Amino acid sequence: MSAQSYGLIATFETPAAIYHAAEQVRDAGYKHWDCISPFPIHGLDKAMGLKRSIVPRFSLAGGITGFCTGMSLIWWTGAYDYKLIVGGKPFFSPMFAFPVSYELTILFTAFATIGGMLFLNGLPKHYHPVLKYEHIKRGMDDTFFLVIESRDPRFNLANTKGLLEKAGGRDIKELEA
Amino acid sequence: MSTHAATVPAGLPAASTAAGASKALMIGLAGIVVTAAGYFVSGAHAIAMSWLVGVTYWTAMAIGMLMLILIHHIFDASWSVLLRRQFEHGLASFKWLALLFAPLVIASLLGTHDIVWPWMNPAGEIHGGHTVGHDPLYLKKAVFLNLNMFIGMTAAFFLLWMWLSARLRKASFTQDKDGDVKWTFMNRKTAAFGLPIGALTLTFASIYWVKSLEYHWFSTMYGVWFFANCVRGALSLGVLIMLWLWYRGDYKGILNNNHWHSIGQLMLAFTVFWAYVTFSQYFLIWNANVPEETFWYNLREINADGTPNQWKYIGIIGILFGHFVVPFLFLLSYRYKVTHSRMRFISLWILAVIFLDICYNILPALKDAHGNALPFFSLNLVWTIAATIGVGGICIWAYLRSFPGAKLVPICDPRIKECLTHHE
Repeated sequence: MSAQSYGLIATFETPAAIYHAAEQVRDAGYKHWDCISPFPIHGLDKAMGLKRSIVPRFSLAGGITGFCTGMSLIWWTGAYDYKLIVGGKPFFSPMFAFPVSYELTILFTAFATIGGMLFLNGLPKHYHPVLKYEHIKRGMDDTFFLVIESRDPRFNLANTKGLLEKAGGRDIKELEA
Repeated sequence: MSTHAATVPAGLPAASTAAGASKALMIGLAGIVVTAAGYFVSGAHAIAMSWLVGVTYWTAMAIGMLMLILIHHIFDASWSVLLRRQFEHGLASFKWLALLFAPLVIASLLGTHDIVWPWMNPAGEIHGGHTVGHDPLYLKKAVFLNLNMFIGMTAAFFLLWMWLSARLRKASFTQDKDGDVKWTFMNRKTAAFGLPIGALTLTFASIYWVKSLEYHWFSTMYGVWFFANCVRGALSLGVLIMLWLWYRGDYKGILNNNHWHSIGQLMLAFTVFWAYVTFSQYFLIWNANVPEETFWYNLREINADGTPNQWKYIGIIGILFGHFVVPFLFLLSYRYKVTHSRMRFISLWILAVIFLDICYNILPALKDAHGNALPFFSLNLVWTIAATIGVGGICIWAYLRSFPGAKLVPICDPRIKECLTHHE
């Protein structure tokens, strides 16, 4: 049974090396690829051609949901389902509903941000093909890896390998899916 | 990795600001002349209120800059090193603001002492035919609210602000020349004792100058409300200064997107902070519904006969939406925070609504014969705008006059490299 190919992995020694390699892979037009680094490298997102995260949209949606939930919760409980006069105030007013709405805006924004981040990152993830690579643990210590997936439309075993070699990658290996 | 760094073009001589300074001075003096002319049209009380708006507005800006510098030092911040230098120039306005405040003190010494603040005249008549001197609510506060305390405290505020400013400016400007790190430590010490001094003085200043116009009123949030406006104003001016220096060429290659993002984030944070404080003040008074407190908002909402007045719409449209909703939604976006034209727009917007907020707090002290607040849109608004432009011209002149006195970028600050390579 021949294992399906996941892609190619190349090793780099320094942040500068993977940074410049990322620029070359980006410019070659690849879409499905990633860098593995023990720590964040400033500007790598730009070198990889990544756009800004869309997590803020999840946050905004969460915030609006929270605000509306707070307002309707106070209205439903105090002015509709069981009308109750408290302190001689109207059954419903945005004034006293505001503290609750404000808190729920923050709470739902936080949930949506965390949830959106996990969703967009595909987390939690129990398995990833690069974990099969014998040296991958060094990616948490002092080594940098660049992985190009074989599902990328531009992927071609020979050409992609050539690109990674040209970009300075060493120990280029094929990964099993 | 950020590549722009290493080269600091700060050693180059900055383009002259002399022409701009004299223009600002001319505009300032013209504003003052127009305001003074208003005395013959609208009378002393109206002009005093307009002048109080102008002086309070620009003192708030200077206090905001002072507080931001102190906060910068206490947190040992790095990204704001660039902007700190410009705020240090802004502090040069304090001595002129003290001078511009003097007419209000002089007016309080004249005649029946109530040209500006009504509680200064014990014989002044209040609602119900009583006088201030027999008003229990005044007598309880008389230790605090009396002419000697007022003058002494106001002098102390300005002296303390000028002293803190002088320390901060001296340390920072001297470090440009000798590069000694001891100046950074001196500034950090100034920040440690300067922050409580700043917090107390700005709180008492807002209570004496603005809140005491309605001395019956109670609010424990007032100083915090004032602080929020101070910082929002200073940040907005900071953005305008950054834009000015960018398009003049001085900041090209020095500022990057992250500086814009960072100041935008602070603007957003203080927008929320301002709203939290202002809403808390309103909400607690609304909820408790005690006449001693609600009258302050009633004055800004309805006339004695129950009909709504102009201040109601200023409150809803100008303060609630203009001061909070619009800047909040606007500054949520990353793209808006790093786009020059949008940052210019929102900074001017915030500066305008702070003016509106100060007006909202001061101008309803002008009342007609029935005790109703005089409308916002009236001749008084002209004098108020003229006074604000007048004081502003002097402050901008003071800033531009200080500008050539120090390097554009504090090149010997230990954090300057971190600032120039500021990243997320």
